[in-house]
Amino acid sequence: MITIDSFSFTYPGMEVPALQDISLGIESGEAVLVRGASGSGKSTFLYCLNGLIPHVFAGSSVGVVRLNGFAPSEVPLREIAKTVGTVFQNPESQVFMMRVEDDVSFGCENLLLPREEIIRRRDESLRFMGLWDLRRRETFKLSGGQKQRLAISSIYAMGPKVFMFDEPTTDLDGSGRQEFKNIIRNLKDKGKTIVLVEHQYEDYLPLMDRIITLEGGRIVNNGMTTEVPTPARATTAPPTRRAISLKGIRFDYERGKNVLENIDMEIQRGEIVALRGDNGSGKTTLLKILGGILKPIEGQITILDIPAPTLESLVGRVGFLFQNPDEQLFAQTVEEEISFGFSRLGNNEGSDRYLDIAGLNTLRHRHPQTLSRGQRQILAVVSVMAMEPGILILDEPTTGLDSGSWHKLFSVLYDYADQGGTVIFSTHNEHAAAMSYRQIVLNEGRIISDEISR
Amino acid sequence: MKYLDKETFLHRLDPRSKIVMGLMGAILIVVLKTPIALFLLFLTVLTIFALLRPARRTCRTIIVLMATAFCFTMISQGFFYALEPRTAIMTFLTPESGMMGSITGGIALYREGIIYGALQSLRLCSAMLLSAAIVMSTYPADLLLGMGSLGVPERIGFVVTVSIRFLPVLLDEAQRILLAQKLRGLNTKGVRGGFRAFRYLLPPLIIDSLRNARRTALAAEVRAFTGKRTTVRELRFAVRDWVTLGFSGAGMIMLILYQAVSP
Repeated sequence: MITIDSFSFTYPGMEVPALQDISLGIESGEAVLVRGASGSGKSTFLYCLNGLIPHVFAGSSVGVVRLNGFAPSEVPLREIAKTVGTVFQNPESQVFMMRVEDDVSFGCENLLLPREEIIRRRDESLRFMGLWDLRRRETFKLSGGQKQRLAISSIYAMGPKVFMFDEPTTDLDGSGRQEFKNIIRNLKDKGKTIVLVEHQYEDYLPLMDRIITLEGGRIVNNGMTTEVPTPARATTAPPTRRAISLKGIRFDYERGKNVLENIDMEIQRGEIVALRGDNGSGKTTLLKILGGILKPIEGQITILDIPAPTLESLVGRVGFLFQNPDEQLFAQTVEEEISFGFSRLGNNEGSDRYLDIAGLNTLRHRHPQTLSRGQRQILAVVSVMAMEPGILILDEPTTGLDSGSWHKLFSVLYDYADQGGTVIFSTHNEHAAAMSYRQIVLNEGRIISDEISR
Repeated sequence: MKYLDKETFLHRLDPRSKIVMGLMGAILIVVLKTPIALFLLFLTVLTIFALLRPARRTCRTIIVLMATAFCFTMISQGFFYALEPRTAIMTFLTPESGMMGSITGGIALYREGIIYGALQSLRLCSAMLLSAAIVMSTYPADLLLGMGSLGVPERIGFVVTVSIRFLPVLLDEAQRILLAQKLRGLNTKGVRGGFRAFRYLLPPLIIDSLRNARRTALAAEVRAFTGKRTTVRELRFAVRDWVTLGFSGAGMIMLILYQAVSP
């Protein structure tokens, strides 16, 4: 189905090729996992196969890529789309229409298929993906997992033989990832060829026929392996003084629909706590209450000895980081970003120390938004840490990070906790949760388990 | 301002009728000049908007927006109206009163300026209500289809409908950025604080929007979007569309004639 022979590709203005001397064959019906650190060339590899290179991204290439008998560079994207379908990471940016069934039709309409054929394919795809009952629902009302299923459904309706997935489950919770696993299994049963690029791939290993590992644009491993990375040590900082106390907390956004119910919780200084649970379980709401962004309807809350705190009273004491670091980088340089918060608290020294902690000393004059995703995440965390808060609250801090960036992030957090800081982070990922000291699991607004990480 | 999933008379109209009505409204907003004609146009558009049976919350937002537009435009035009003749109804500083008077040329509230501001507000509010009525009553894919069949290039229509879909996403993001600023200790209170917040809001908002736009563009590319499409949805021009367009056309001519013959 796919043949690549001595293929190299270099982006304009770059000296080092993004892909180097790639030779590979993928059989029809095979499921292949592509892994590697950020910048290893995984996405470029997909773009060469689905025609985005050279049709959208220019560059110079040598060697041969053939897909089902043709070269993607010589065929228009509309034709390639009949053979290869690609699903990207962010479900939000892949949904174009307001109603589910219209979005599934969108790709077929672009292929200029006749109306009756579009309806036939649309209905078949909706049934195959289990979206039939949701076909008239407005797309913005779908969960992340349902939106990703919709994106796959839209591609499926276009009838490709090859499905390419570029980190498709990064933004999904446990049930979304389970749904995705079932989809991969069903696509395999239909004889489709699957190329999956994923950082957090452990769950999908049993479904894969082969694993390709990329490093610096080269294939360093091409075969089957069951090796799963072991998480770094869990912090074992002994509990000392109380940082957070919640008693009987209840919260709702709409009267009668409790998002949090009867939450009792105590967290000590120096702890690293992972908050787990599916989408809608109340994790982010609880984090916002801890950060003073939301006020509980009922219950008692004490944060760092401040009873019933407000957002203003917690500025500088509690650091809060939303999921997307890019929304929290305001300054013109990395150095200015780190001092943004603490200079407003009257402290003008210490940016060097935090530049060292972030490992960004040599990049101090760069614009924050020009850093890599992992570096932006670390910078956002360290910029909040630089305000020297007693508590650090992080919403899904590992989303979209490769394992190298993960380990860097957690080493920063461990050092912070060793000095008495408290970290609470929400996560879908059980491996990220395992790096905490303690795991609290929420389900439908209630705590269903609270255990020490093993 | 987003599509309301309802069954009203406006919803049942073909999108092409609504686009043509929008164009007629735009012509009238530019052509009409007298207070009565503009007021009649505003009343007509208000009635059209009322056909949507909007929720109380939407009405409140619209009223606040219109009241702000009226107050701001009438006061600013009242002070800065420069055409002659003009009648000062309240003088705060005469041109003769010292250095400030000679620098500013005097500060006064002018009757003609207030009237001019009111007319501009009528235009602005009519345009706002009419576009709201069209967007809130037309399913975006149908709007795209309607624009396409009236000769608007498919790519432009697609950009418009995708923009409508992504507007709430952008607003959510702006709110999160403003909150993140507060959490990092930025003082956003008062007018100076507002400017400060705005200064630090724009870079992340623009950069992230560009990243989102790039992601969306790639997703459209792999779904073979080129601008040429067939479509599952079909538009039907019914008798009610002809009748509505007939009435709209007649109303448009009558308003123009009324302005022409009125002193």
